Amino acid sequence: MSTHIAGRKSGLVWATHITVAALVIIWLVPTIGLLVSSFRDRDQISESGWWKSFSSVEQAYRGRVDTVAVTRDGDLWVVEASIFTDEEVSGSFPDGSGRVTAFGDSGRAPGEYDAGTTAEIGNGETLTMQSDGSYRYTSATEPEGRGARVYFIAATPPEFTFANYETVLTSDNMDRAFINTLTVTIPATIIPILMAAFAAYALAWMDFRGRGFMIAMIVGLLVVPLQLALVPMLQLHNAVGIGQSFLGIWLAHAAFGQPLAVYLLRNYMIGLPRDIIESAKVDGATDFQIFIKIILPLSFPALAAFAIFQFLWTWNDLLIAKVFLPSSDEAKVMTVKIADDLLGSRGGDWGILATAAFVSIAVPLAVFFSLQRYLVRGLLAGSVK
Amino acid sequence: MNPALQGLMTIVVGVGGCFAYFYLSNQFLDRVLFPAKGPHASRNINRASRIRPWLFLFPTAFALGLYLLYPVVGSFIRSLYNRSGDEFIGLGNYTSLIGSGEFRTAFMNNVLWALVVPAASTILGLIIAQLTDKIAWGNIAKSIIFMPMAISFVGASLIWKFVYAIDEDIGLINALRDWAGLAPIDVLQLPFWNNIFLMVILIWVQTGFAMVILSAALRGIPEETIEASILDGANPFQIFLKIQVPQITGTITVVWTTITILTLKVFDIVYAMTGGNFDTQILPSYMMQFMFRDDGRATAVAILIMLIVTPVMISNIAQARKELR
Amino acid sequence: MIRRFAGASLLALVSAAPLSAQELLHPVGEGAFNWDSYQSFADSHDYSGQSLKIAGANTGNDAERYRNLYAYFAEATGASVEYSGSESFEQDIVIAAQAGGLPDIANFPQPGLAKDLAKQGVLQPLDQEVADWVTENYAAGSSWADLATFDGAEGDKNIYGLFFGTDVKSLVWYSPEQFEESGYEIPETQEELKALSDQIVEDGGTPWCIGLGSGAATGWPATDWVEDMMLRTVPVDVYDQWVNHEIPFNDERIVAAIEEYGHYARTPDYTPAGPEAVATTDFRDAPDGLFEFPPECYMHKQASFIPIFFPEDVVVGEDAEFFYFPPFEANADLGRPVLGSGGLTTMTKDSEVARGFIEFLETPFAHEIMMSQGQFLTPHAGANLDIYTTDTQRALGEILTSATSFRFDGSDLMPGEIGTNAFWTGMVDYTTGAEAQSVADKIEERWNAIQ
Repeated sequence: MSTHIAGRKSGLVWATHITVAALVIIWLVPTIGLLVSSFRDRDQISESGWWKSFSSVEQAYRGRVDTVAVTRDGDLWVVEASIFTDEEVSGSFPDGSGRVTAFGDSGRAPGEYDAGTTAEIGNGETLTMQSDGSYRYTSATEPEGRGARVYFIAATPPEFTFANYETVLTSDNMDRAFINTLTVTIPATIIPILMAAFAAYALAWMDFRGRGFMIAMIVGLLVVPLQLALVPMLQLHNAVGIGQSFLGIWLAHAAFGQPLAVYLLRNYMIGLPRDIIESAKVDGATDFQIFIKIILPLSFPALAAFAIFQFLWTWNDLLIAKVFLPSSDEAKVMTVKIADDLLGSRGGDWGILATAAFVSIAVPLAVFFSLQRYLVRGLLAGSVK
Repeated sequence: MNPALQGLMTIVVGVGGCFAYFYLSNQFLDRVLFPAKGPHASRNINRASRIRPWLFLFPTAFALGLYLLYPVVGSFIRSLYNRSGDEFIGLGNYTSLIGSGEFRTAFMNNVLWALVVPAASTILGLIIAQLTDKIAWGNIAKSIIFMPMAISFVGASLIWKFVYAIDEDIGLINALRDWAGLAPIDVLQLPFWNNIFLMVILIWVQTGFAMVILSAALRGIPEETIEASILDGANPFQIFLKIQVPQITGTITVVWTTITILTLKVFDIVYAMTGGNFDTQILPSYMMQFMFRDDGRATAVAILIMLIVTPVMISNIAQARKELR
Repeated sequence: MIRRFAGASLLALVSAAPLSAQELLHPVGEGAFNWDSYQSFADSHDYSGQSLKIAGANTGNDAERYRNLYAYFAEATGASVEYSGSESFEQDIVIAAQAGGLPDIANFPQPGLAKDLAKQGVLQPLDQEVADWVTENYAAGSSWADLATFDGAEGDKNIYGLFFGTDVKSLVWYSPEQFEESGYEIPETQEELKALSDQIVEDGGTPWCIGLGSGAATGWPATDWVEDMMLRTVPVDVYDQWVNHEIPFNDERIVAAIEEYGHYARTPDYTPAGPEAVATTDFRDAPDGLFEFPPECYMHKQASFIPIFFPEDVVVGEDAEFFYFPPFEANADLGRPVLGSGGLTTMTKDSEVARGFIEFLETPFAHEIMMSQGQFLTPHAGANLDIYTTDTQRALGEILTSATSFRFDGSDLMPGEIGTNAFWTGMVDYTTGAEAQSVADKIEERWNAIQ
C-alpha cells in the first residue's frame, strides 16, 4: 500500500519534471534561434536555418581555373593547382584548405561529378578534382583570357561572427543611448508606482462617494490606445513649455502607466488582512500613517512585481520615446537608436535586429533576477478573505 | 544639464515631492482646515475624512484626466467628423466602418484574440506556476518562461519569422515538415489558423506575466489549508483544482483582465508578420492604416476597440462592488 | 472649420544640437566635380551663425551620404546643418506637423504624403523659378516639375519641392554568368521574356524570384509590376488617368495589366516555391536566389536600389547586371517607357537659409557629390556622368537622362489609403489566388468611399 502511494508520487514528480522540461524547451527554442542568429550575418541568416549553423554545411562554390601556371604535356595544355588558392574562393577558406565532395562545370549542376573522377567539360577540356581541392585541367587549345569556370561542393565549418555585436555596441553614441534609456526608465518606473500606490490605497481602504465610479473609470481607461493621446499631449507639452524633453517623457510614462498600476495595486491591497488595518485605525493612526507604516511594507511584493513590468515596458518602448523625446542624437534612447540608425536603410538587417533584441534584453533580465526574490514571499491578492 | 544627472534629480524630486505632497496636504487638512479639536471636532473629523480620499487620488486622477480622459473625449468628438475634420457627420464613420467587410473581419479576429490569448496565457501560466513550485530547478524554469517578456515585439516577430517562414531552410516548422517528408506550407496563409499562429506569439510573451503573478498568489495560500486537504486524502489534482485555484480567483481575474487589455493594444505583431493580409487584420493595426490620414475613422476604430473590453470592465466593476461590501 | 483639439501655440523646445563639424569628403577643388557651381554658390550665399534642421527617411549609411553633402552646404555658407533620419519618418513628420516642432527642410521618400501636407498648409511653397529650373535642367523636366506641384491650403497650385535622388524601377536583375552558361539572351520584348521564362522552366530551372513581403508594407513590389505593365500596355495618358482616378480602378485595361503581372507571379513553375511563397518572401531576401548554385532563379525585377540587399560578396557589374524590363512587341508604338520614383526635398519652415538650401541642391555639384558615393541617380542634365562610380550606375543614370516617357510610381501618387494600403493588400490577394477583376473592384470601391 505505502509503496503504491510512493510509486504514484514519484511518478507524479517525474511527470512534473518532464512537463516543465518540455514547456521550457518550447519556450526556449525560439529564443535560442534569436541568440544564434545574433552571431550570424544577414547573408547567413537568409540562407540557412539557425539550427544548421552548428554543423558544417555542404555548399556550392565557384572559382576559376588558374591561367598562370599553364604547362605543356604533349599536345595538351595542362594546369595543376589547388582550387582553394583561387581568389574568388579563398575568402571562404581562409586557411587555404577544405574538403571537396563533388565538382562541376555549370552553375546549374555544381556537383555533377564526384571528387576524384575526371570530367569532360566540352571543347576537348577535361577536369579532375581531388577531395583536397587539387585539380588537373587539360585543354586541347591554349587557355586564353579568364580561366574556365569551376564549381565545387565543399563542407564549410560553422561560422560565427561578433560583427553584429560590434556594430550595435560600438556604434556612435550607443553609450549615450544606453544612459538615456536608463534616464528615461528609472524615474518612469518609480514615480508612477508611488502615485498609484496612494490612489490604490484610497480606492481599496477608504470609504467615499464616487469610489465605484473611479474604479470603473480606471478599468475603462486601461484600454485607451496610446496613439490617441500622443498628438494632443505633445501639443500640450509644447504649449506649456515642456516641449520634447526628458521631463515630458517622464510625465507621459507616469500618466500612461497609472491605470494598470492602480488596477494591480488596488487588487493586491484589497486582499491585505482587514483586521490589521482596522486595529490600527482604532489605535488612532491616521490614513497617512497606515499607508506608510502598514500598507507600503506589506505591499512590497506587488510593488516589486509592477516595477518589473513597468520597467520592461518603458525599456522596450519605441512609440512614446519617438514622440516625446527630441530626435537629436543626444536624446535618443536605445530602441530609437536601433530602429532608426542601425537597422540600415529599409530595415533589412536581420543580424543586427537579432543582436539588438538580445542586447536590450540583458538589463530587464538583470532587473527581473534581482527583484525575483521579493516576489517569492507571495502576492496575497485575493487569497485572504 | 547631463540627462543622467537630471534623471537622478527627478527621482529625488519626484519621490520626495510625492511624499511631501501627501504628507503636507494631509497635515494641512488635519491641522489647518478641519482640526480635530475645538468646538466642531467631530464634524471636522467627518469632513476631513470625506476630503482625504481625494487628496490620495488627486495626482493619479489629474494625470489620468489629462493624459487619457481628455484625449478620449477629444477623439470621440473627432470621430463624429469627416476625414478632414471640417464637417460633422454624426455616426457616419461608425456606420461606414460597420459596413466594411475588412472592418468586420478585423473586429471578429480581435474578439478571437481577446478570448484566446488571455485564456491560453493565464491557464498556461497557472499550470507552469504550480508545476515549477514543486521542483528544485523551478526558478530557472520560471526565468526562461519569463524571458520573452523582456523582448521587444519587433524582436519577437523576428524570432517567429525563424519558426514560421515557408522556406524550409529558414522556418523551423517547415524544416520539420521537410524532415518528415511533407511539403512546406505557409502557416501564415492558412485560413483561420494563421490567426492562431499569430496569437501563439503573444501567448509566448504573456505567459511569463501570468506565471509570475499567479506563482506568487499560489505561494500566498496558507499552508494549513493544503495540509488539511492532504490529510483528507485529496490527490494533487483535486488539491490544485478544488482548493488552490478557488483561493486565487481574484488574482486570476486580475491577470486575465490585464492580458486582455494588453492584447487589445498590441498591433506590432500583426503589423510586422503579415501586415494584416490573409484575413489576419486586427483593430489596432487596422486603425494604424487610417491614423494621420483619416483621423475621423481612426478615432472611430479606437472607440470601438474600447467597446470590446466593456464586458471585462463590467465584470471587474461587479467584482469591486462585491469587495466593497 | 474644426481643429483637432484647441490650437496650441507651437512652441518648439527641441534642443538644437548641430553636428560636430563634419569633415569634407573631398577637399574643395579636388576631383572632377563641378567646383565652379560650388564656388559661385558659396560666394553668393552667407548664412553664418544660422542653423538648418533637416529631417528625412534615410538612416544608417544612407544618412551618412547625405550628411557628407550637407557638410558642403555648411562649408559654403557658414550655416550649421543638423540632419535626423528616421525609419518612420512619415509618421514623425505628421506628428511634428500637428504638434509643432517641424524641421526647416523635410526629405520625403515619396511625394504622396507631401501632397497631403501641402494641402494642409504644412509645406511652404517654393518660387516659380524652381519649377522653371527643374523644367529646364532635369531630363523630362516638366514631368518632374508637375510631380512636385500640388494644391496648397488655399487651393492655389505651387511647386512644393525639388526631386533629389531617384530610383529607376523598370529593371530586371540577373546573373550574367548564369545567362551565359545556359546560353540565354537578353530579351528585347515581353514576348521574348515570356519565351525565355518558359525556356528556363523547360531546362529544369526557375525563371523568377519575386518577394512581396515587407512587414506592414507587404505587397508594394507587386504594385511596381502592375505599373510597369500599365506603361507597356496603355498610352501614358491612360496611366495618368488611372493614377488620378479619372478612370475607375476596375477598368478592363487595369485588370489586364494586373493579369500580365499574374502571368509571371502566378504561374507555379515560374517561382521557386509558387505564388503562395511569393506573397510572404521578404523583398530584401528575394534577390538572394540569383546568386546561389544552382541558381534558385534567373531573374529578379526590382528597382535600382536593390543591390543594397544583395549578398555581401556580390559585385554589381560582374555577378549581377540588369536589363530594361522590355516593352511588348505588339505595343511597339508605346516606346520604351521608364517607371521611377524619387525623394522630394521640401521646405517646412520658410527661411532664407532653407531657400538657400534648395538653391544649393540645384547646383550640379550637389548631385555629383551624391553620385560619387554610389546609390544615387539623378535626372540633372548638367551633372557629370563620369562621376558615377560604376558602369552599372552610369547605365542606370543614362536610362533616366535619356527617358522619353518617364512616369512616376503610381502608387506613390494615389491617396494614401489606396496607394499604400488597398493596392498593396489587393496585390497580395491577387497573387495568392483572388480574381484580378474582384481585386480591382474592391480597390475601386475603397477609392470611391474616401471621396
